[in-house]
Amino acid sequence: MSAATVTATAAPRRRRASGLAAGLVLLAALVPVLAFLSITQGSRDIALRDVLDAFGHFTQSSSVDDTVTVRLRVPRTILGLLVGAALGLAGTLLQGLTRNALADPGIMGVNAGAAFAVVGSITLLGVSGLGFHVAAAFVGALAATALVYAVGSLGRDGATPVKMALAGAAITAGLTAVTTGLLLTDLAAQQQYRFWQVGSLAGRYAPIVTGVAPFLAAGVVGALLCGRWLNALALGDDAARGLGVSLGRTRVVLFLVVGLLCGAATAACGPIVFVGLVVPHVARFLCGPDYRWVLPYAMVLGALLLLGADVLGRVLGGTGELQVGVVLGILGAPFFVLLVRYARLAEL
Amino acid sequence: MSTPTAAAPAAPTRPGEENRTDARGALRRTRQRRRIRALAVPVVLLSVAALLALLTLCFGSVRLSLDQVLGSLLGIRDNGAVDFIVRDLAGPQVRAALCVGLALGAAGTIFQQLLRNPLASPDFVGISAGASAAAVAGIAVPAFAGASLPALAFVGGLVTAAVMYLLAWRDGITGYRFVLIGIGTAAFSTGIVGYLLTRTSLTEARAALHWLTGSIGQAGDAENDVLLVALIVFVPFIPVLQRMLRTVEMGDDTARGLGVRMEPTRLALIAVGVLLTSLATAVAGPIAFVALVAGPVADRLLGSARGGIVAAGAVGALLCLVADYVAQYLLPVEVPTGVVTGAVGAPYLLWLIATTNRRGMGG
Amino acid sequence: MRLRLAVATAASLALALSACSSDVADDDDDAKPASGASATPEGPWTFTDGSGEVVELDQVPTRIIAHAPAAAALISYGIRPVGIYGDEPVDTDPNLDGVDLTGIEILGEEWGSIDVAKASTLAPDLIVADWWPAEKAHSGLENSVKAKSKKLAELAPVVGPSQGGSILNLAEGYEDLAETLGADVEDSQGAEDKAAFEEARDAFVAAMEDKDLTALAVSPTADLLYAANPEYAPELLDFTEWGLQVVTPDTPDPDFPYWENLSWENADKYQPDVLLIDSRSFEEAKKTVAAQPTWTSIRAAEAGQLIEWPAFWLHTYADYADALTKLTADLADVDDTIGD
Repeated sequence: MSAATVTATAAPRRRRASGLAAGLVLLAALVPVLAFLSITQGSRDIALRDVLDAFGHFTQSSSVDDTVTVRLRVPRTILGLLVGAALGLAGTLLQGLTRNALADPGIMGVNAGAAFAVVGSITLLGVSGLGFHVAAAFVGALAATALVYAVGSLGRDGATPVKMALAGAAITAGLTAVTTGLLLTDLAAQQQYRFWQVGSLAGRYAPIVTGVAPFLAAGVVGALLCGRWLNALALGDDAARGLGVSLGRTRVVLFLVVGLLCGAATAACGPIVFVGLVVPHVARFLCGPDYRWVLPYAMVLGALLLLGADVLGRVLGGTGELQVGVVLGILGAPFFVLLVRYARLAEL
Repeated sequence: MSTPTAAAPAAPTRPGEENRTDARGALRRTRQRRRIRALAVPVVLLSVAALLALLTLCFGSVRLSLDQVLGSLLGIRDNGAVDFIVRDLAGPQVRAALCVGLALGAAGTIFQQLLRNPLASPDFVGISAGASAAAVAGIAVPAFAGASLPALAFVGGLVTAAVMYLLAWRDGITGYRFVLIGIGTAAFSTGIVGYLLTRTSLTEARAALHWLTGSIGQAGDAENDVLLVALIVFVPFIPVLQRMLRTVEMGDDTARGLGVRMEPTRLALIAVGVLLTSLATAVAGPIAFVALVAGPVADRLLGSARGGIVAAGAVGALLCLVADYVAQYLLPVEVPTGVVTGAVGAPYLLWLIATTNRRGMGG
Repeated sequence: MRLRLAVATAASLALALSACSSDVADDDDDAKPASGASATPEGPWTFTDGSGEVVELDQVPTRIIAHAPAAAALISYGIRPVGIYGDEPVDTDPNLDGVDLTGIEILGEEWGSIDVAKASTLAPDLIVADWWPAEKAHSGLENSVKAKSKKLAELAPVVGPSQGGSILNLAEGYEDLAETLGADVEDSQGAEDKAAFEEARDAFVAAMEDKDLTALAVSPTADLLYAANPEYAPELLDFTEWGLQVVTPDTPDPDFPYWENLSWENADKYQPDVLLIDSRSFEEAKKTVAAQPTWTSIRAAEAGQLIEWPAFWLHTYADYADALTKLTADLADVDDTIGD
């Protein structure tokens, strides 16, 4: 990729910026290409002409091919791009905020909170259906994130990175324990949970997409505005304070944005940890430490990674499909391991 | 974390011969007190664990008197009914709880000190995830029907750790790279587990969920024996391991200055930690949180003598024993032990975060 | 200070230890309570287990511990176990619906957990549960079950009919077992149940003769539509034999042949007259499919021809009779011209 070849040190600032911008445009240009693939490819063979046809008679979609194209693949593509962008950004924010390479939506209690809310609403309240799961997961994720922040900020020196990471780990473990306890005694809940836990874009259609899209979009915009703060935080607490950044307020705002992004993403697709964890490392590798660049790179990379994995899972699965969470783990993880091994990833 | 020496309270340093002797005396007394503590804490903890073990034998689902339990354990008395419960059922269960706790506690504190990260317990660094993927495959894939789950888990844990070590090796091992690679391997294993869970039948998925939560009593007597033997073999090496941990704590430069080669030391510590974790996981599944919590709790009790492997193991043993009892008898339905360790461990860790902060140590 | 606390804890534990009493008598006279059944035939007793192994005992067993469905079958022939263990709470287990459990010790109400210590105090001489040929194990004692629970098998021999090509293997197997245990099979609730079953089956066969019905058994989830392979569901094989043509998917998952995984894009691959949906999650499944735009690309779904599939749990003539009667009634209104 072109941006990788641009070295930060020697080049004058303006040239560096234009190189990074060119790289970003190039990556962004891949988005429509991938979106086109996502709408034309899938586990069902539909001729290209029929795909285009389907958009012709959009309203009175009659054949199964039309339904699949317009009502299955289009929302799925939009959701994949949005959720991927959201997770990429959320991971970057969290890693910058906690200055910890291990920070991801999972470690901040988001997934555990969402899982607890989903399983709790099935076993304790007896509600079910994907729509309820989405709402419950969103509330659970937000509540868990708030709890992690509250515990992490206990005491005199406020929310230090280490305390937040530990608080996230503790709350994750506690909630997971209770969730498992509820789950093991309820067969119906197990049946639903085992499909939720893997993380998937399949079966999420218009109502869900339109439900979570506003939250995701707001979170994405908010996240893109946080670059300057993250740059300040990266210098350390004292230096950030010296630059006139209010640590307390910054952290609250960042946490809120993360909660919004991860909550909505996890609600829509189930727990997909990998994107938030890996994309920031790749983005920093491509464009250096300046968060004003890392953030848009992470957004585009996240969208590409998630949708790309989903298309792959649809094509590889025969008449069935491989869930995107599975594809990311089995194909994405080895890629990440090789990257860690052979590229010199910057420590935070 | 500070080294034991540095953690000793500074002696008064006013000039004058008398004061200096005083200071030296104070230092000696502190050292002595620390040594006593380093010895007394594990001994007391282990005694409490032993007593608690007897107590759980008496108050199982079938109540037994202390006479009956001791008589059966020591082989003094013959009573078929009691002997079956004590020697074949509850006894092995209690022994497994103690051994798994000892192994996880010791492995946890070794990893935390080695990687200098309080989050770096084996359940966070991918070893348990590898063991889990292997075991869930054993449960879910029809072709593996009848395979020994403990054996699969053990091999899975070892292979994952070996792969992680090889991949992380580049002119030595840095903690940071090891942890990142651990994340990658954990994601890979989790992907496989997720795939298997969605493809298998509901019955097998349920079995897999149970296994993934971790339960004392999961494996049979043969596996328990292997773990016990491994622990006994480790005992004479504990002072060596303890010294290695102190070397690692000094940092690379200091150690090199003293002429100690770090890489073999690190490899030895990782090998011990991995072996203990894999064996414990084979016996009981990936029980959450014991390894994470045991080290910090033991450090609290040890005070300035922190970092003790035996003390951390003893805390782990106590936690497993109590969690196992609660999971089996005190809840409305029997649940896997891992459910209880998480529920007990989490509030403790939160408390730790709050109080650590008050002392201004910031973790 | 913490140390002192620990010592105090240890001391109080020691105190508690010295004070505990016992449920088990100290003398080892093996004081087994005498069996209530007086009509127990003379031994020796033999039974051929589902695994093919012949189990021989000197005496006819009277103190039986049974897996919940096996217990329901035995009780219908008047053989009452001393203890049972199930895969779910006895209140919700469909196998135990309407079964009188008074005086029977409950040893486990969750999959994989059996209180073997309590079981040992019942001094059982036989344990009864289905044999699973694929797992090569009896119910509740499968490979993935905790070793702790599997020690139940050390208490007494385990026997049971084999799961397999038909639910009747189980129903007949338990009838045979009950007979060897001294039950008067002809004059029992079980005999009435069997008659009811035969009536229900004949009605089912008669109803199917008038129609040309094809059925697909499915398990819908948000991600995928799973189409069941009848070869792994004995009740579906029975239905096929009695005239309902259950579709066999042509490409089941090679690793997990119980299902063919269909993405929702391919939901219309099979076009049966009627869809059978797992009764354990019927209502939930209806909500799941309502959100799927391609669900109605299956013509049977479009026409609302969905009925409950009593999946994977039937054991006794009584339950099978009820299930078949319900199925016959559900199928009565189904239009057999919808599918291919």
